[in-house]
Amino acid sequence: MIEVLGRLGRWTLRQIAAALAVSVLMVDTMVWLMVAPIRGKGFRWRSAVEHFVEFGVRSLPIVGMICFLVGVIIALQASYTLGQWGANRYIADLVAVSALRELAPLMTAVLVAGRCGSAITAEIGTMKVNEELDALKVMGLNPVKYLVAPKFLAMVTSVPSVTVIAMLIMILGGWTASVFVVGVETEVYLRQTVNAIIEKDLLIGMVKSFFFGVVICWVGVYRGFQVEGGAEGVGRLTTASVVTSIFLIVIVDLVFTVLFYYL
Amino acid sequence: MDDRQPIIDVRDLVFAYGDNVVLDRVSFSVRPGEIFVILGGSGSGKTTLLRNLVGLIRPASGSIVIGGEDFTAMSEEARTEARRNMGMCFQGAALLGSLTVADNVALPLREHTKLEESTIDIMTRIKLELVGLGGAGDLLPSELSGGMRKRAGIARAMAMDPEIIFYDEPSAGLDPIVAAGLDQLIRTMQSTFNLTSIVVTHEMESVKIIADTICVLHRGRVAGIGTFDELAQSDHPYIRQFFARQPEDAGAVDEAYARSLTGID
Repeated sequence: MIEVLGRLGRWTLRQIAAALAVSVLMVDTMVWLMVAPIRGKGFRWRSAVEHFVEFGVRSLPIVGMICFLVGVIIALQASYTLGQWGANRYIADLVAVSALRELAPLMTAVLVAGRCGSAITAEIGTMKVNEELDALKVMGLNPVKYLVAPKFLAMVTSVPSVTVIAMLIMILGGWTASVFVVGVETEVYLRQTVNAIIEKDLLIGMVKSFFFGVVICWVGVYRGFQVEGGAEGVGRLTTASVVTSIFLIVIVDLVFTVLFYYL
Repeated sequence: MDDRQPIIDVRDLVFAYGDNVVLDRVSFSVRPGEIFVILGGSGSGKTTLLRNLVGLIRPASGSIVIGGEDFTAMSEEARTEARRNMGMCFQGAALLGSLTVADNVALPLREHTKLEESTIDIMTRIKLELVGLGGAGDLLPSELSGGMRKRAGIARAMAMDPEIIFYDEPSAGLDPIVAAGLDQLIRTMQSTFNLTSIVVTHEMESVKIIADTICVLHRGRVAGIGTFDELAQSDHPYIRQFFARQPEDAGAVDEAYARSLTGID
């Protein structure tokens, strides 16, 4: 019993320490992103753009592919139930609303976490192992300014951007399945889609995906700074980075879903 | 001894990881323009000492005065400023893998100065020529050999024309010929620019060639300070052992080691 309590206590202390470390990192990032450039300390725009291309543009093929297929799947699954009631035209509503509010932001975030969150951890972790982070500090370069701030800006802009495209592609997937498999007319499908969507759906999706971007970046960076002891450590924390990201993405998703449910 | 002010003055430096005291009241001073070697075996605390000197970690107590200012008492911002006067070559060179060699050398200039790109280009080329890497600017660090990487590391450390340069194990992992070349380069740098150089190493061969003053560290304490010849005459058992390259006495098993084997406290 005492042992269990002891473990629980140590676990809690570890979590508090981690939360503190992440908070320090957050404040630092914000300072280097917003305050420092105004004070003339500079921001690495070039690096931010390069990372935007890496996180955003290069994620498009895989995100597009997955979201198209998910669109097809929802449409077919929806038809299974709706078809029994002769309500196949409502497939469009279901696909559009779930794509905007839930599935496009979620699928995009999970894929970007797997593709880029892990890459951030691996990059920073490898740099730490190779003493490159120490080298930056000795050269008078702040690792948060040099490495984290550009990645953060790139991540919180690219994830929502990719999500918008993912929404459209998911609806396209739903349309493809409805028209060519279920037999809904294109005109009906489009009318239903337009009627089903309100601005709030888009807003919810955007807000969620912005915070998904925040989670992916900070988890990736935090795990990267945690790396100790060589290649083995990099591998272990890269895996941990993806698992933590996806876990927190679902938690954030839940929080916002509950929040918007009451709003 | 000359009577000029020491450029680095370390007094009673103590550093510990938890209960494990790594540096125990270490004191020494470095005169401007000399090559000061910190010599010690594995685990003697020499790398920890170096990391304290460049301010990557803060000591538990004691002071490090560099150029008249107490480096340990400064704010983080003042330390960053003070570091521009220092260069450091890491054991594995620690070049940024995503940048070319030339970009690595140019990085401190790009970040800290408002020089024209063309000026930075020229300065970068001068530094690379200096370390004998004239044609290698466009290569990535992964395309260089170990010795070339260290040379590139020295060029980067020299980018801001520092007064003090730190070398962490410059000849570790290199063959004798390349290592000798690096020793020569460290000497050349010191004599050409009157550069104060602090070298952490355990290679007796290079110590003999480069050192003006040697500080021997043993288990976190200073075992002796002096020139090579002075220390060669020392009767401190560890220094004699180190200079004679003798193994640890097999009879005198370390107490802590014995405890760890038997599990008895």
